[in-house]
Amino acid sequence: MKKRRFAENAWKKLVGPWKQEAEPGFREPVLGNPEADRAAVGPLRVLPEPTAEVIRISLGPPSRTREWAEQLAEAAAQFSFLGEITALDLLALVRAELGSSEVLDDFQPYGDHFAKAVGPATILHVISGNTPAAGFQSLIRGLLLGSHNLCKIPSNGLMEIQEFRRLLPEELAARVEIKRELPSEWLEQADAVIVFGNDNTIAQFRSRMRPGQIFVGHGHRLSFGVIFDDPDLSSAVGAARDASIFDQQGCLSPHVFFVAEEPLAYAAKLAAEMERAHVREPRGALSISDANAIRQERANLAFRLANDEPVAVFESVNSTAWTVAFDATPGFPRSPLNRFIFVKPFPKDFAETLTHVRPHLSCAGVWPPTLENARKLADLGVSRICPVGRMQFPPATWHQDGQQVLAPLVHWIDCETGS
Amino acid sequence: MVLTSVSMDEYLALENRLAALIESDAIDEAAFRDAALAVHRFQRQHNEPLANYCELRGTPLAIQDWREIPAVPQGVFKRFRLSVAPPEAMTKTFLTSGTTGEARGQHHFLNTRLYDTAVVCGWQRLALPSLRTLILTPPPADAPHSSLSHMFGVLAARESARFCVTAEGRLDLDAIAGDLDPGKPVAALGTALAFLNLFEQLGDQRLPLAPGSFALETGGYKGSGRDIPKPDLYAMFGTYLNLPSDQILNEYGMTELSSQCYTRGLDRPHAAPPWLRALVIDPETGKEVAIGETGILQLFDLANLGSSLAIETQDLAIRETAGFTLLGRDPGALPRGCSRAADETLRGSQAGRMS
Repeated sequence: MKKRRFAENAWKKLVGPWKQEAEPGFREPVLGNPEADRAAVGPLRVLPEPTAEVIRISLGPPSRTREWAEQLAEAAAQFSFLGEITALDLLALVRAELGSSEVLDDFQPYGDHFAKAVGPATILHVISGNTPAAGFQSLIRGLLLGSHNLCKIPSNGLMEIQEFRRLLPEELAARVEIKRELPSEWLEQADAVIVFGNDNTIAQFRSRMRPGQIFVGHGHRLSFGVIFDDPDLSSAVGAARDASIFDQQGCLSPHVFFVAEEPLAYAAKLAAEMERAHVREPRGALSISDANAIRQERANLAFRLANDEPVAVFESVNSTAWTVAFDATPGFPRSPLNRFIFVKPFPKDFAETLTHVRPHLSCAGVWPPTLENARKLADLGVSRICPVGRMQFPPATWHQDGQQVLAPLVHWIDCETGS
Repeated sequence: MVLTSVSMDEYLALENRLAALIESDAIDEAAFRDAALAVHRFQRQHNEPLANYCELRGTPLAIQDWREIPAVPQGVFKRFRLSVAPPEAMTKTFLTSGTTGEARGQHHFLNTRLYDTAVVCGWQRLALPSLRTLILTPPPADAPHSSLSHMFGVLAARESARFCVTAEGRLDLDAIAGDLDPGKPVAALGTALAFLNLFEQLGDQRLPLAPGSFALETGGYKGSGRDIPKPDLYAMFGTYLNLPSDQILNEYGMTELSSQCYTRGLDRPHAAPPWLRALVIDPETGKEVAIGETGILQLFDLANLGSSLAIETQDLAIRETAGFTLLGRDPGALPRGCSRAADETLRGSQAGRMS
């Protein structure tokens, strides 16, 4: 049974067609139904989409990096699951990690001298399974660095990435090779190898690296949310969105929300919002084994509920479309995914709760989204903290798995000129 | 929830009735239904966690169709004591295999009379020749909580048999080789993993079995990190033991059940004995799928008198006109996304059997 993965327009209805004006720090998430949310959070200031002309004017003389950023953003805009990637975002990423958005084009001031960054001649991207978004972003970054990109895609194909190449100008398209089987020479040829996959896959590739090759492994991750305080349960709309987008397959998809006050009431509200999200944008079809994983987990919870354990299950009727499982026993639960979200009381010792999963943690959504709340989680192993409702849309400049994404790939040429 | 002497009498009466039914080997739909509903009523009265689950599900005590009996998810044997009698009444407990730190499923028995009857009658239905038998598991005395060792022990008592795995789990290759009499066919019984270990130990050597020999493999590769496709495994039987595929049987059983299903060779459905009925269920709707379609396997085992008659396994199967084609736990599934799913606990062998 084939999964429907990343249908076009999949989440536009939830994300909303407008942009919110950037403000420093955390922002109020854009939630749910545009009209209802507009009424709830007050008038939003809507910015026009920046046109290519506006970008050029704002950036000064053309550079190769800028031209590529524009071309890449244009092609990426055709894939809604990538979120919004603008040329400005890509240039901001180069600037954030390498100091200047033009440092890949020419020598730029660097300390007391000049320096130029150079991307790897060839990058091998090993793109796994059924979340192409991360692999896509890796390819986009490789192209931005001026590298030749070898993409090993899953053996059952990845139509989107082939479509992406078709949308690129010839110069960039020529720097992308895509194969379903990994040619042995690719591993030899690559100056950098970026692997997405499970621990075994990453370990296998790592063991095959030769000295001098750059290796970056992105393993599977766990994310969660924490609701510190939300008496009117208003964050549940965003929580449902976080747990529904990409059918929970992403490394930023939450498995569980820990709720400090009235967790059972929160679970009930979240269930209502999961149903609304389902009505707006139904989940993709599941394989029988994925559907069965949900059925088994539901049945186990029902058995525990029948036998007086502190659990409750809210679920879609006559389908596995969505599930909210309230479970007041200790521990960090693992969701069978595909819109199956746990709600647990926020534990007294949260660090202890996270002990076993700490090496695998990625994103924590928090509510209310304040720096004070973020600080409570900063030392617990996560690499990203964001408002509930924004978990799936990291900024272009985010540190994936807590690491820079361009800086580890480039090498530097220093230039000291005569004074 | 202690069995009183009255209810113990009730248990023994049911046990007698079921043993006779299993031995008769002629169980039509009506006989199965009557027996299943009687067992269910008894279990509702004496197995408290099961009764609570049925109540939550809203299943009335007086149902008319055995298909309405709520199937207990196999996984709850790890968390709950599913038994009609208190711990002190038990004479036998089988445990599922489990990695370190993982809870193990427990199946408790007042006695193994029905279990043993089901093993023997199920075996007789296969109409296999009586041969010198080599068993690639530890003997029951060395593995008292292994349902598979127990089952092989029951069969070994009927044949001239030798257990060829030590208490430490070491395969005794010398014992196997030394036991073979050229020209005399043998039966070899063991887990798929044990056979794989045998083949690996043999290396360049070959151990051709005489024509007429057969093998029975079971249980997958749980905990080994191995996963050999069945055609490849059966090809190795040919290479190392000179056994053609149609002389190899697969047993499908699990710690949580008391009866077994068998198939022979490649690409044939498993057949359940008449006291064990299988339903293949659509996981989305909970309804039985059409013939030829895939779903989740539920088993209704009359020999499971002391625990739960109806078990929902974690295995996928195709519903056939007769029997089912077992697909196992997670066949050909795409690797999940980059979210770290519960895949460690969802993957594994097709059966929860201790091996």
